[in-house]
Amino acid sequence: MKRASILVLLLLLPLALFAAGQGEEKMASIRFWYHFDNPDAAVTPLVQKFEKENPSIKVSPEFIAWDVYNQKLLTSIAAGNPPDVSQIKLWWQPQLVEMGALLDLSDYLAKWPGRTDVFDKIWDLTEYTDGNQYLMPLQMVILYMYYRTDMFNELGLKPATTRAEFLDLAKKLTRDTNGDGTPDVYGFGIRGARGGHDWWGTFVLSSGAEFFLPGGGSGLTTTEAIAANQWFIDLYRVHQVSPPTTPNDGFQQIIANMQSGKTAMTIHHIGSSKGLAEALGDKLSAAPVPKGTKKYWTSFGDEENGVLAASQYPDAAFKWASFLATAENNAIWQKSSGQVSINKSNATGGGDRFLKATTDSADFAGVLPAHPGTAEFVESLWPTQMQRAFLGEIGSREMMQSFADHFAK
Amino acid sequence: MTRHLPLWRRLLGLHLPVLVIVLFALSPYIWMFISSITPETDLYGEVFRYFPKNPTFENYPRIFQKVAFARNLRDSLIVATATMLVGLGISLTASYSFSRFRFRGRNYLMIQFLVINMFPIVLLLIPLFVIMRVLRLIDTYFALIIAYSTFTIPFSTWMMTSFFNAIPKQLDEAALVDGCTRFSAMTRVIVPIAMPGIGATGIYIFITAWNEFLYAAILTGNKVLTIPVALQNLIGEYNIAWGLLTAGGIISVIPVIVLFFFIQKQLISGMTAGAVKA
Amino acid sequence: MKRKTDLFPYTLLTPALSATVLIIFFPIVQTAIMSLFNYVIWKPKDTRFIGLGNYLRALTDEVFWISLKNTLYWIAGVILLQLLLGFTTAMLLNREFKWRGLARSLILIPWVTPSVITALMWRWMYDGNNGVINDLLVRIGLLNSYFPWLANSTTALPAIMVALMWQGFPFFAIMILAGLQAIPGTLYEAAEVDGASKLQMFTHITLPMLTPILFTSILLRIIWVANSMDVIFVMTGGGPGYATYTLPVFAFIRAYKGLDFGYASTIAIFLTLLLIAIVAGYVIRVLRSQEALR
Repeated sequence: MKRASILVLLLLLPLALFAAGQGEEKMASIRFWYHFDNPDAAVTPLVQKFEKENPSIKVSPEFIAWDVYNQKLLTSIAAGNPPDVSQIKLWWQPQLVEMGALLDLSDYLAKWPGRTDVFDKIWDLTEYTDGNQYLMPLQMVILYMYYRTDMFNELGLKPATTRAEFLDLAKKLTRDTNGDGTPDVYGFGIRGARGGHDWWGTFVLSSGAEFFLPGGGSGLTTTEAIAANQWFIDLYRVHQVSPPTTPNDGFQQIIANMQSGKTAMTIHHIGSSKGLAEALGDKLSAAPVPKGTKKYWTSFGDEENGVLAASQYPDAAFKWASFLATAENNAIWQKSSGQVSINKSNATGGGDRFLKATTDSADFAGVLPAHPGTAEFVESLWPTQMQRAFLGEIGSREMMQSFADHFAK
Repeated sequence: MTRHLPLWRRLLGLHLPVLVIVLFALSPYIWMFISSITPETDLYGEVFRYFPKNPTFENYPRIFQKVAFARNLRDSLIVATATMLVGLGISLTASYSFSRFRFRGRNYLMIQFLVINMFPIVLLLIPLFVIMRVLRLIDTYFALIIAYSTFTIPFSTWMMTSFFNAIPKQLDEAALVDGCTRFSAMTRVIVPIAMPGIGATGIYIFITAWNEFLYAAILTGNKVLTIPVALQNLIGEYNIAWGLLTAGGIISVIPVIVLFFFIQKQLISGMTAGAVKA
Repeated sequence: MKRKTDLFPYTLLTPALSATVLIIFFPIVQTAIMSLFNYVIWKPKDTRFIGLGNYLRALTDEVFWISLKNTLYWIAGVILLQLLLGFTTAMLLNREFKWRGLARSLILIPWVTPSVITALMWRWMYDGNNGVINDLLVRIGLLNSYFPWLANSTTALPAIMVALMWQGFPFFAIMILAGLQAIPGTLYEAAEVDGASKLQMFTHITLPMLTPILFTSILLRIIWVANSMDVIFVMTGGGPGYATYTLPVFAFIRAYKGLDFGYASTIAIFLTLLLIAIVAGYVIRVLRSQEALR
């Protein structure tokens, strides 16, 4: 009897191992956090398509409001309950990587066939300083300059290609149209509230300021950098080509001002083009930003998907993230996001004037440094210092020094 | 207060000031309504308009169809009502205790309640998230009900203690003499008299729960979606869905106002002359 | 009589106590302990005990002092505005007139409106290019041209205070109304018979009877207003510059934008200490006077 039972056990052993192996094939359930501006947009068709192609994976998408996105992500990570895949903004990456919150995708990507279909530039920009790739590209957008064609035509003007031309344009476009002594139209709407660092970058990072010098040290406190920053401050304080509300103007305000004709030019990207075009039609067009004294600089705004290190189903999570980065699906995604696809095979070459301005700017678009201090710079340091400079509370040197000190920490 | 003043004095001294205050309370709301019926392309025109050229009511059905707002109303009602009942129940007994009894640790406890309130709750997000996660309550009604009831306890206790303090203790003693237990003295005699105060506190708890955003966004947001979070979802990174947002704002206020209109008579009823024999 | 401890009051307290201790008190203690550490969430390896280091840092931080000053203006201004309007409203709504129920319900609207909408609407109304307030003021002739209320460091905070007055006066109105309702009508009737004037009735009957409610609601409101930051944050984000930074705004930004939880906790503790200082003398007096009543 004893031998029989041992025999049975031996026979059952491979069965047990087989069953254990089978266990890995059971349903993987992953949570996906995302946000869209358009409340009508739904990610459901993509989820359904994915689940059909991958029957052992279930995706639970959760829409998180943009205003609270970063907080909710951080809280969930700190509390040990993050999602499996989440949209990540580029400037959050350093902090998240330092925290160990993101999964290194380099190995997965080496084996992923769709890698070559994504613009090389995006891989360069999203790679982390340690050489690993933690982010999966999702969408991209490049900032350009909007301008009012009707006002330009009225004054016989053309979009500027250099900084000096730009200032001249802005001054000409700032006019008092009803004779009451105060300007009614301003040449350039500057975004002085949080998020406006891209405006600043276009005129300052293009004209001699750099966050880090190649040999070490800060490139923000050189004479040239301080002068470039002063030039930008002067737009508001000296030349007054930007409305008085500039220190508090956020995204909503600069778009509203474009729409109402309060400003003749401003910087933004294709995401806002639909709404503005609906209101202004042919009176609105776009062109690449003007060149600074050294080079062009505009912001490469994009967003990626990250796989969270705490995920219990990293394979499934990567599958979903890469699914969204494949041409066919990425095109569907962009219909809801209003931004531009990251895939070479989706670059049709057609499209409207806004897409043209976007692609014309692709060569010189850049991002802020992949430094853990960037997030705070974007969210609170730049806005407060810029506003103080606009209000005359501090000077250009003090402002740039505070940035240099911050990044030196 | 039963003198009959001449009409013009009533108009000037009563109706007019009330009207002014009500209009002040309503103006942003009215502006919100106007925005909700303005097509989004007309929101920022060359000339400032007080009323849109082509008003449209399409946002109202849209918010129920596209955003499932009815469900948000339901979630908010559930959370706010439950919070109010739980919060009132808990604070009522505590307030009665503080008001009617002098016991060791009373002052210390009252002060502790106050001090707890002083701490900025926004910083307690992570510990609370951990607690709810451990209890497996993330994204449930209970998470919010527990959190909100607890947050409002210190305030409610202090408020109701002061309302109870305004009721003379002779009434308690009279009830005890009449044969009530201490508990039924509280429930049968004092509580009915304190209804205005209890009602006001209940309103405070209800509105606090109805309006709260941060914890609702962090602790829930998918299966449970209250109004403030639903509305915040309409604020995107590059775009605010103004039409839907303002329509939502208009609607979200209505249930509370209607509710309050019907119960305010009972809650804030005048105390009859016979209750206290001076 | 026997010296047995009366447990009844304690039993009544148990639910409230247990809930608060578990859900608020422990997290507060946790956060307080965090203030003694250098704790930046994305630098977990740098976490270490630094004792009062964060506190010293705050005391030498110019932003801390600006926030403190703003907080004091903020509390004083908002409470005053809310109280005056709320008290007036309560007195009016206490009287008898046909549409009283409707009026009482409608004035709740500011209180019931979600904060984010309040902030967005007021921000829009104050807008320096498309705002209705500017338009009205220009039409009436009080202004020559649109004024950037929220972009000017002198007017930004007062402008937000007006929005808070709008949001919060219903609280005082309802609380004081409830308090007014509890004053027996017989007192007024007796005073009328004695020939008292309206003013005398107000100062000798209304105010004294309202005192406990008034003091408590003002106290609680001070604490609430000191902590409120969501409207400020949406309207100006703390700007322009640091013009609308209050202590809770500062703590919030440090915590969630800078991820410096150690320092943010310190600022929160300072705010708590400040509030304790403001209310301490007053609270002890109130508690003692309640003793005397017994």
